[in-house]
Amino acid sequence: MRFSSLFQMLSFRASEHGSRTALFYEAGGEKVRLSYFELFDLVQRRANDLRASGKTSIGILTDGSLDCVITIMASIVSGLQTVLLDENTPDALLKGYIAYTDIDFLWSSDSELTREFSPYLTGGVKSGVGRVLFFTSGTTSRSKAVVLTDESLMSSAYNGGSLLPLEEDDVLLCQLPLNHVFGFVCGLLWGLSCGAAVALGRGARHYIDDCAFFAPTAISLVPLLLGFLLKHNSLNEELRLVLIGAGDCPPRLISACASMGLRVSFGYGLTETSSGVALSLGADPYAMTVCPDDEVIIAEDGEILISAPTCVMEGYYKMPDATREVLSGGILRTGDLGFIDGDGLLHVTGRKKEILVLSDGTKIFLPEYEGELAAVLPGRDFAVAEKGGAPYLVIKGGASDRAAILSSVRPVMELRPRGQQIRDIIFTPHPLPRTATGKIKRWELQL
Amino acid sequence: MTRQEILSSTKEVIYECVPELEGTELTEDTVINTDAAIDSMGFTLVICRLEANFNIRIPNRQWQRLSTLGDVVDAIEKRIEK
Repeated sequence: MRFSSLFQMLSFRASEHGSRTALFYEAGGEKVRLSYFELFDLVQRRANDLRASGKTSIGILTDGSLDCVITIMASIVSGLQTVLLDENTPDALLKGYIAYTDIDFLWSSDSELTREFSPYLTGGVKSGVGRVLFFTSGTTSRSKAVVLTDESLMSSAYNGGSLLPLEEDDVLLCQLPLNHVFGFVCGLLWGLSCGAAVALGRGARHYIDDCAFFAPTAISLVPLLLGFLLKHNSLNEELRLVLIGAGDCPPRLISACASMGLRVSFGYGLTETSSGVALSLGADPYAMTVCPDDEVIIAEDGEILISAPTCVMEGYYKMPDATREVLSGGILRTGDLGFIDGDGLLHVTGRKKEILVLSDGTKIFLPEYEGELAAVLPGRDFAVAEKGGAPYLVIKGGASDRAAILSSVRPVMELRPRGQQIRDIIFTPHPLPRTATGKIKRWELQL
Repeated sequence: MTRQEILSSTKEVIYECVPELEGTELTEDTVINTDAAIDSMGFTLVICRLEANFNIRIPNRQWQRLSTLGDVVDAIEKRIEK
């Protein structure tokens, strides 16, 4: 069912199916249920409080808790500008994000943290109605905030539900961070828009036992987390559907799920498209059906272009030039390469932009990352490259340089989330391959 | 508990959580990401086990600052002292 706003969906569910379970969460070691009626009531009360506060731009450090979910929903429902942030954002970056996105109220389950950052709050925004901001790569100094809307997120949830419907007795486990659009749409809104129940995962400390605790029938995962759960035999027997997204998934993980009798669907999408553009529905997980609201065009050079008036971002927050580079005439340039097969299914074959997509779903903008490293590795010939879903430093030199290089890059690493930190160094005795203009020929790097 | 005992216990947890590292020498200077090649999920598992073993809690925001094994031992030592 298509809803144009979160409020419309919650009010409909509360009035038509009020007693059904909307959320499961943990409290005092017990699994507790919250009905759609109770959820709507809580969201409305919190929305009234937010409206009364006079605040205009709310930054939410997402931790996936019930309180966090209620606050996000209330902020959206009350029409405030809602900025979803990684709860582990380093202090210096968080201060920058607060200023950049005009946050005048910071929410965190950690009140000490909220107090610590209160001096950095701004005067807010004049109009933020319906804006929901997600950062493209989580935590880098030049991350762009993508402006989505209540409506675009609900349209994206509809797209997912129309291709992969969940039933009311399904339980969707939400383990992914809600500041990531894939986690927000495919971990939360997808389930609720279908009228199913969503189980709120208990965070990193419970990755391994959340499936046994909540007994989900469906789960949305990034490849890294799927690999982790498979390695530790954490998937429960009630599970029937695994939706994988936000990064390239090794075939061995998909095969492992299939051998357990699980239906596996692979999703392609971007923050800029409010998550899913296409989903695989058949036996081939890499052949994807384009979602109803999206139109995919393949450019002459193979780039995937997307036209989706209901789902594509309004732009990058306060970055008109950056917006124009990728969005023009309603067409979004994805920077990804692909083709449409004879059956009309989309295949993604690579990336045109200088971006690495890691197995935890986060992205690295290579010019920026390499620029930071160049400052601590002056005069060195190096590049950052992806191997097995993790970033590696490829550098001209020998193993005897290893300790000095690691010591030099450490300050840069400490400002990055662990998944984005250099996994290892690959030494090469030869200069790195470059074009005539000095750009690295990334496709020629020996990994 | 001495620092050496914490280090020893931490190494045991790492070997248990990441069996591929069995036989690899781990010292306080070992860089977790690069030298030990523990990915972010493996690191999460290690920290969770250490928290349970030492009955402490290391705030999530501190995790990414733990670069070497010595940093992890520092974090545990500080919290045991508290």
